Amino acid sequence: MANITVFLCRCFGEIDNAIDFDLLRKELSKDTSVSSVSIVDSLCLEADIEKAASQIKETKADRVLIAACPTLSRGNLPVDGLIKEGIERHKIDLVDIREGCAWIHGNDPEGAVKKAKDLINMGLAALQHKEASKDMRVSVHPDALIIGAGPAGLAAATSLAKTGFKVNILERASAPGGMLRLISQLYPTGEDAADKLNPYIDEVENNHLITFYPQSKISSIEGCIGNFTVQFSSQGEDNSIQSGIIIIATGAKIFFPTGLYRYGEIRNVITQMEIERQFLKGSFDAKKPVFIQCAGARDKERPYCSTICCPASLKNAMRLAGENPGSEVFILHRGIMTPGNVLEKYYRDALSMGIQFICFEEEKPPMIMGNDRVEHVEVYDAVNGITRKIETDLVVLSTPLVPNDDSVRLAQMLGIEVDRYGFFSESYPMHPLETKMDGVFICGSARWPVASDQAILQGRAAAMKAVSYLRQREIAASTLSRVPGPKSGHARVVPDSCTGCGNCVAACPFEACHLEKLEDRHISKVDMMRCKACGNCVSVCPNGSMQIPEHNYRMVGEMIKRAF
Amino acid sequence: MNQPRILIFACKWCGLIGADAAGKKRASLPARFRVIPVECAALVEPDAILRALAGGIDGVAVLGCHSGGCRYNNANHASIKRFELLKDLLDTTGIGGERLLLSFGTAHEYHQFEEIIENFFNELAALPPLDPWLSPFGVVS
Repeated sequence: MANITVFLCRCFGEIDNAIDFDLLRKELSKDTSVSSVSIVDSLCLEADIEKAASQIKETKADRVLIAACPTLSRGNLPVDGLIKEGIERHKIDLVDIREGCAWIHGNDPEGAVKKAKDLINMGLAALQHKEASKDMRVSVHPDALIIGAGPAGLAAATSLAKTGFKVNILERASAPGGMLRLISQLYPTGEDAADKLNPYIDEVENNHLITFYPQSKISSIEGCIGNFTVQFSSQGEDNSIQSGIIIIATGAKIFFPTGLYRYGEIRNVITQMEIERQFLKGSFDAKKPVFIQCAGARDKERPYCSTICCPASLKNAMRLAGENPGSEVFILHRGIMTPGNVLEKYYRDALSMGIQFICFEEEKPPMIMGNDRVEHVEVYDAVNGITRKIETDLVVLSTPLVPNDDSVRLAQMLGIEVDRYGFFSESYPMHPLETKMDGVFICGSARWPVASDQAILQGRAAAMKAVSYLRQREIAASTLSRVPGPKSGHARVVPDSCTGCGNCVAACPFEACHLEKLEDRHISKVDMMRCKACGNCVSVCPNGSMQIPEHNYRMVGEMIKRAF
Repeated sequence: MNQPRILIFACKWCGLIGADAAGKKRASLPARFRVIPVECAALVEPDAILRALAGGIDGVAVLGCHSGGCRYNNANHASIKRFELLKDLLDTTGIGGERLLLSFGTAHEYHQFEEIIENFFNELAALPPLDPWLSPFGVVS
């Protein structure tokens, strides 16, 4: 028989008028599972918690029920205090009799005391059936792996190396730099991309903590946080490395607008990337350039805004206008996207330079006129309601960034998710660089199109997130929580009754369940490092073989029985 | 007047915050509901709901987070589908799907808690009381 000590907190008499504590104590003393009932004034004060702890030790109670205010108020204080005094988490239960009972039923004392009694009874039932989940610890390999050597990956690598961790970088191309290598100048400062990139490349080449694998291709990724094993080939040689965490900085690729605005069919219709390439070679001669925004973006197929194309167009338009005095530069747009204090000023600078902006509608895109080379562009000016004919010698299409072709493959290898377009997505709110898999971080344009300064910022942030895991020698599964505080438990399979139907494997949002082959059948196995105790597997299990010990079906059943 | 009783499964991160807030503002609700806090709405077994109804509780409410706002990687999204199926089952067995209330809202929509529960009380009051004799007749094994 259980030996439960009950503490009833009066909250300094605050809830006395709604709940008759003496009556409650009398009723509770009749329960055979209750060894003692104490009425206290304020269980949230340290002195009272200590007193309660010593009382528990004296009476040798094996479970503690606290009836007080909820966790969101101060109910967490006695619970945490008792845990600190050495009482296990699953042996304590907190029942909310203030917000959930006394305050909400102040005008019905009879109902309130009945409800308080029922709630405490439910708590007693819960305590008698609550069990503790097992925990698991894994050792952490202190190396980091970064996939992609663009600005985000390089920033992450150099930050991690600065904190003293070994870093391996896998890069598909033969040199580090990513898309920055294809760009001449950066907005809004106008500095050379190479100036920004070179310090990072120097560090990658010279820092002995950083190993760079060019021309690499990943064939498999296995393991979980602390111990990932990655098989890959670099420059034709097969290789394998261990790492504690993985940072994904694979970036994105440029969308080629084949078929849009007669691109590929007519000369002098080029993309923003081609104009960058020209700028890298030297200056560019165009007297009447026309930039067309949102070529392939913000339409039905790609309804998102790529965020970098508007400032990039402003940059190149201003550069063309500055290098070719007397030129007329047009930007045809569907709303210029320049958020923030710096970029808005950039837009105003472009306006004051005499660059002309014409807003068009999605339904009436500009028409490219000309036979073998563009002669003029016809555009319906949505603001003034007139069709304008602009003479031009160059049309530049601003195309969005789209996910890499193999992002889905990489996501499947890692067990993380991509959004509806194929960018890697963070899987839960308020944790922007973390994914569904602990120890796998995303940064830069791999998660969403960003400019290089943002990519560097995110790379550094991801590195710092990674350090918080890498610096630990061992990680306990119970600390890998999605919510404040430790995990509430881990799902547990009853191997004898598990039929191996696989419902839980399909239902688990964290890919923690898998089927294991026994001699004659399959049974489900839960990977504690991945399990977050959401309970989806519990709900879909046809015969109750999957349980969370802290919230098992016996406990819920007993609570329901005693609810009224 | 029928006096219905309600069992509420409230997700700790949204529904329970609503229940707390209702208490904090001293809302006045009938004392005939009980709240069982759960880590996520996905943890509520359909079986538990059936057990509650079979035991004579007139209505069960499941309060979870918005789809997309779940802390457990959209675990609650799966639970929505499950409970819709369960409603069908309740309809076909004659218990009535209206005895199961699903509500998904964020913590900052806590002011809705009072309204949701009051409406549910009124809806259930219009239904005949659910007697515990249901279970021996094999509605729930």
